[in-house]
Amino acid sequence: MSTAGVADASLRAGISVATPVLEARGLVREYGPVVAVNAIDLSLGEGEFLTVFGPNGAGKSSLLGMLGGALRPTRGEVAIRGRPLVYDAVAWRASIGILSHRGYLYPQLTAAENLRFYGRLFGLADLDGLVAERLERVGLATRANERAGRLSHGMRQRLALARALLHDPDVVLLDEPYTGLDPSAAGVLRDVLAELRDGRRTVVMVTHNLGEGLELATRVAIQVSGRFAWQGSVGEVERASFEHHYHQVVEGRV
Amino acid sequence: MSLYLDQIRVIVWKDLLLELRTRERIAAMGAFAVLAAVLFAFAIDTSVVRPQDVAAGLIWMTMVFGGLLGVGRTFHLEAQDGAMLGLLTSPAPKDAVFLGKTIANFALLFMISLLVLGVFMLFFSVELGPSPLVLVLVLALGALGFVALGTLFAAVSSGTTMGETLLPILIFPLLLPMVIYGAGATSRLMAARPVAEVEGNVRMLGAFAVMAVAVGAMLFRFVVED
Repeated sequence: MSTAGVADASLRAGISVATPVLEARGLVREYGPVVAVNAIDLSLGEGEFLTVFGPNGAGKSSLLGMLGGALRPTRGEVAIRGRPLVYDAVAWRASIGILSHRGYLYPQLTAAENLRFYGRLFGLADLDGLVAERLERVGLATRANERAGRLSHGMRQRLALARALLHDPDVVLLDEPYTGLDPSAAGVLRDVLAELRDGRRTVVMVTHNLGEGLELATRVAIQVSGRFAWQGSVGEVERASFEHHYHQVVEGRV
Repeated sequence: MSLYLDQIRVIVWKDLLLELRTRERIAAMGAFAVLAAVLFAFAIDTSVVRPQDVAAGLIWMTMVFGGLLGVGRTFHLEAQDGAMLGLLTSPAPKDAVFLGKTIANFALLFMISLLVLGVFMLFFSVELGPSPLVLVLVLALGALGFVALGTLFAAVSSGTTMGETLLPILIFPLLLPMVIYGAGATSRLMAARPVAEVEGNVRMLGAFAVMAVAVGAMLFRFVVED
């Protein structure tokens, strides 16, 4: 993060790129009278890593849920490579990988069984080889036959990441992936997440941890009360300045 | 189509493997079945009522109450680490998820139904009659209709604060046709009446099971989608 910073782009109408992989237009999610996400537009290209910051209750997880097809928008549209989200479309779901602070794992299944289960849901071929390769990649090859419930929280989170990336998705959505991890486990996860910046994936991470969030981001947005109150790209301003800026935005002074 | 069938198969495999490792539901249902049969045996005054006359009705009530213990916890393992969201954001169609979980539930309840039958034969001195395979078919069709509705309503109740308390209230009224035709057929078959006498009941049970599976598969997506 030595050169990372944020160039102010608060006057932009939305984050946009020439050839978008992931697009959202006028995204709104209401829970009764509560508007969790309010008219969010975004457009991300290949290789971009957007981190969405915001305080608790800002609607970050609802936004991610809609981008991942887990939540149906009240209004608005999500598209991947120009194809609008169709909730039961196999191809659409196969292009998204989701990692949350919950692993979506079965504690009574082994690490390998968990991956095999999801692999078969995705219809992946050569599953044994793929599972072994993914476990190797997240440093769990020696734990393949251990039940997920007996792994440490950090190991489970790496296994969850292997699950999210098992089908090699174009778009990866990360919902507070560092929650509950000690510094050592967070460091290991950070190294694995850094591999996502391989230039061909599009990543959206929501977090309220400024340090972890800025480290990998190429673009940043601050979500307050359901809206993107500020957004820009990582570039010039020092991290310390961003922290000050973030608090001003959240407190409504910018 | 082969992916669809494989998705159903892997959900069945996963649910049965988890049950094999935890034995949570099968143990609860099995223990309930045995204890209920013992209590019923002591509760009936055999000087007034012949146990054989009431056994069929009690068998079906034991199946229903015992089945609820297991079916009500269908989505419990999914809730532990948010795995339900993993299932629902996978490419598996919602009806494939429903069918996979219904088939796994059916396997468990069918085993329990056979256990219930065995326990009642022991404590109530009932016999299978001359058509034991038809009797097993009656129990299987009843179990299928029950788990199809049970799986659907377990998904409904798993998202509520009342949870498992709500499930019997939702499902019992809908089980009435199944219990009427199932207990009627069971009673006649155990009394060694001709199979022709229960053909209508078997058809109604079959129709009930097919409708319950079809309606469950159609409605499941509306229950689980947020």
